[in-house]
Amino acid sequence: MRKTFAIAVAVTVLLAAVPVWAHHAFSAEFDANKPVKMRATVKKMDWINPHAWIHVEVKDPATGKVTPWMIEAAAPNALLRRGWTKQSLLPGVEILIEGFQAKDGANRANGSIITFVDGKKLFVGSSGDQETPR
Amino acid sequence: MKRLLLASIMVVAAASIASGQASRTAAPSAKSYATPKTPWGDPDLQGIWTSDDCIGTGMNRAANLGDKLYFTEQEIAQREATIARQSETDRQEFANPDARIGTGPPSHWAERARRPCRQTSLVVEPANGRTPDLTADARARRIPEGAGNNNPKADSPEDFSFYIRCISRGVTGSIFPVIYGNGQQIVQSPGFVTILQEMVHEARVIPLDGRPRSGSNVRSYMGDARGRWEGTTLVVETTNFLPNRTGIGLNGGGTPTSDALKLTEKFTRIGTNEMKYEVLVEDSKTYVAPFKVAFPLTMEPGYQNFEYACHEGNNAMFNSLSGARAQEAAQEKK
Repeated sequence: MRKTFAIAVAVTVLLAAVPVWAHHAFSAEFDANKPVKMRATVKKMDWINPHAWIHVEVKDPATGKVTPWMIEAAAPNALLRRGWTKQSLLPGVEILIEGFQAKDGANRANGSIITFVDGKKLFVGSSGDQETPR
Repeated sequence: MKRLLLASIMVVAAASIASGQASRTAAPSAKSYATPKTPWGDPDLQGIWTSDDCIGTGMNRAANLGDKLYFTEQEIAQREATIARQSETDRQEFANPDARIGTGPPSHWAERARRPCRQTSLVVEPANGRTPDLTADARARRIPEGAGNNNPKADSPEDFSFYIRCISRGVTGSIFPVIYGNGQQIVQSPGFVTILQEMVHEARVIPLDGRPRSGSNVRSYMGDARGRWEGTTLVVETTNFLPNRTGIGLNGGGTPTSDALKLTEKFTRIGTNEMKYEVLVEDSKTYVAPFKVAFPLTMEPGYQNFEYACHEGNNAMFNSLSGARAQEAAQEKK
């Protein structure tokens, strides 16, 4: 009985925690079997809806070959509400990216974890933390 | 042993139902609030509102919660603590070194509730908090890809939902709380209320002057709205929807509604920064009974609606179609 109740509670908690999906389905665009991890240099950031995209270059340390990638980021409106501006991520900045590659094999990835090279988060804070509970 | 288990289940179920009934009526106490007036004398609802506080609250209540509409004060306190912990995590300067990549939306995409949603579901009527059954006709309707149906197989842009295509989330999908972009800007002028909805950028222009409805041959994604004041409550009745476009789910997902859809919305300002919102959904060709959805809207310091041009940057459409082709090619090779 206790186990049944525990499962019921767990299911309820899980249901409450499931995020409401974003503008598109991850499984349609990205391949869960193609994780990627890269150190990259920012070229530019597209402030476009429904999601911002960060254009980066990845240099192969062995050959020196530079490969362009596109990394999907949050919705611009959410970034703006976090206090982001066009100056927040300037060309030339190095970042670390972890995510999954596009299903079609192109050099695009979702930016699941994006940090500066010292481990600092790019996206600190959220638009929901400006106010204490009323 | 089986009997004992059954008896225990019945006792717990009865207790659960009893507590559910108690909680159902435990709505936040209504405060007396003198709604401000516009210069021309209408109740003033103007401002930028958001449904953020009920982000993550499901349309349908978990079956084990029965008729329990509201969380208990103890559960609310737990949720407040969760929000505080989340906020603390969001504000940490350094990423968690143990963080693992996942296939859901990254946490840095999400906007957050500022305070706990008191409800266990967005559906508040019927009492079980669940949308009524679909009609046989509705069950046969195709649900487009995305927004409620995340099957990645798609042959053309038209296989995707109207949300994914940046066309519309429908009336309810444009106000129901989702992961981000929940802004609702209300602007009033004599005889009209306009609601500018952030994500996918709808502008609902609602006449208040009692003009007749458009003919039944004039239909649109967002329908034909007529508003009126009942005391300080803005009541908006909307009909003349195009059939088979969006559903009543989050982001307009789920089974598309029919040309019989009628929505009756009520906007009641209950505080300087608080609004009660509810919508009665009637569509006899889609649902076997009407149902009601309700949740709070709030005004938050510094919250702005930003421009939402969607088509120009909708890379998801290209990526999803190319992904589907890549999947087909891989299957052909096998």
